[in-house]
Amino acid sequence: MNDRPDAQDLLEIAYDTFATEVLPAVPEGLRYTALMIANAMAIAQRGLAAGDTALRDEHWRLSGLLSENAAAPRDEGLREAVEGYNRRLANEIRAGRFDGEGRAAMLGHLRRTTEEKLAVSNPKALVDPGDNRQEATADKRR
Amino acid sequence: MTLSEKSTRQRLAGFVTRASGARAAVIVALEPMSGGAVQENWALDVEIDGKLRRWVLRTDATATVRESLTRAQEFAVLKVAHEARVLAPEPLFLCDDPAVTGRLFFIMERLPGVAAGHKLTRDSKLVPDGRGLARELAANLARLHRITRARAGLEFLPTMLARDCIAHYRSYLDTLSRAYPALEWGLRWCEINAPQREDTTLVHRDYRTGNYLVHDGRLAGVLDWEFTAFGNPLEDIGWFCARCWRFARPDLEAGGIAGLGDFVAEYEQVSGHRVMPGDLRYWQVMAHVRWAIIALQQVERHLSGTQRSLELALTGHVIGQIELEILNLTEVP
Repeated sequence: MNDRPDAQDLLEIAYDTFATEVLPAVPEGLRYTALMIANAMAIAQRGLAAGDTALRDEHWRLSGLLSENAAAPRDEGLREAVEGYNRRLANEIRAGRFDGEGRAAMLGHLRRTTEEKLAVSNPKALVDPGDNRQEATADKRR
Repeated sequence: MTLSEKSTRQRLAGFVTRASGARAAVIVALEPMSGGAVQENWALDVEIDGKLRRWVLRTDATATVRESLTRAQEFAVLKVAHEARVLAPEPLFLCDDPAVTGRLFFIMERLPGVAAGHKLTRDSKLVPDGRGLARELAANLARLHRITRARAGLEFLPTMLARDCIAHYRSYLDTLSRAYPALEWGLRWCEINAPQREDTTLVHRDYRTGNYLVHDGRLAGVLDWEFTAFGNPLEDIGWFCARCWRFARPDLEAGGIAGLGDFVAEYEQVSGHRVMPGDLRYWQVMAHVRWAIIALQQVERHLSGTQRSLELALTGHVIGQIELEILNLTEVP
């Protein structure tokens, strides 16, 4: 067993220290890079904190949509099962099987899944739709 | 052989002398410019027969990206656009002799101004009249859309109408190890709602805030012509107005610089074509699907090890926002 603090705690204190002590002192030329580092650490931290709860919920919803009733497998099996279900859902959407009946349930699932992803990737996109945080990466080609 | 070497600069000076028909050309400065994940741009100052010229030397970067034009093709496109009075850097000389710098390159005029989207959408000193700028951008786009295949030549450019785009994006998704159901839904929605008839004109395919220069509050020129194709002119309008390109001002639909009204009215007047609300919604959905595909390609470059980069890695985490926007635009039938 690893010594404490664990990965999540280390990342959290490293992020806080970086954001409060390093970021304000970073020269203008490195500010964008420093903001990207802070953003990456924050995403990683939220990902670790979230665990696999969202993945379990996604598995449960997908099995409903695809009329399956397999119990959610553990650990790596869960990720593989969700990936397999997503592949099937993607194929069925492309084939038009969710165009009519089933469309509302499918859209509800997609929204829920997207919100769960954003809770890790960019929670601000959920609480404040006016804040467009894509810009940090969107402007890379200029 | 790199542009920083003295011998390369000497050969470059020789090329400029021959290409410009000058008696003598002296390279005063040659510095890499920031930005440009796909192409490398160098600021090139040359003294030709005693007169200083400010140019850009544009060459392929080491990491090439699918779907972008070669320098020779981009040069030809710029020539056509420039002749049609589209505001863009004037293309000057194309060099297809690898003995000069080791790579193919072209030289174009260096326009003044600021391009960065997060600055233009925030700083009213840079854009004191956003509505006026939006009208300039609309008129400029309308001039571009007057260029047809018959008029332009440019046989090497593909045609990408709505159904071509859908097929193309699906074929890319099929190469990935993971499936993206929300993007599949966006594509299915685009398929169900695909236009019956489409105009085909020259389209820039990356006409957006961040890709044009603003100087003294006015449009100086449009950059980055590497994705140009023939296609539905409405695609450029949807791309320009898509939420993902509004930077600090998501409330301003015309590229984060103005409301939709001025942009669309000016475009309609100069082009003579109506832009219906349904068209706008359709091509905004397509814009977000396309931006998601490009973001996935960028993440792949990081994941595959072709180009390990924090910036590319973080692009993977904007996919959720793009998907949310697709859902917001398509949930109401």
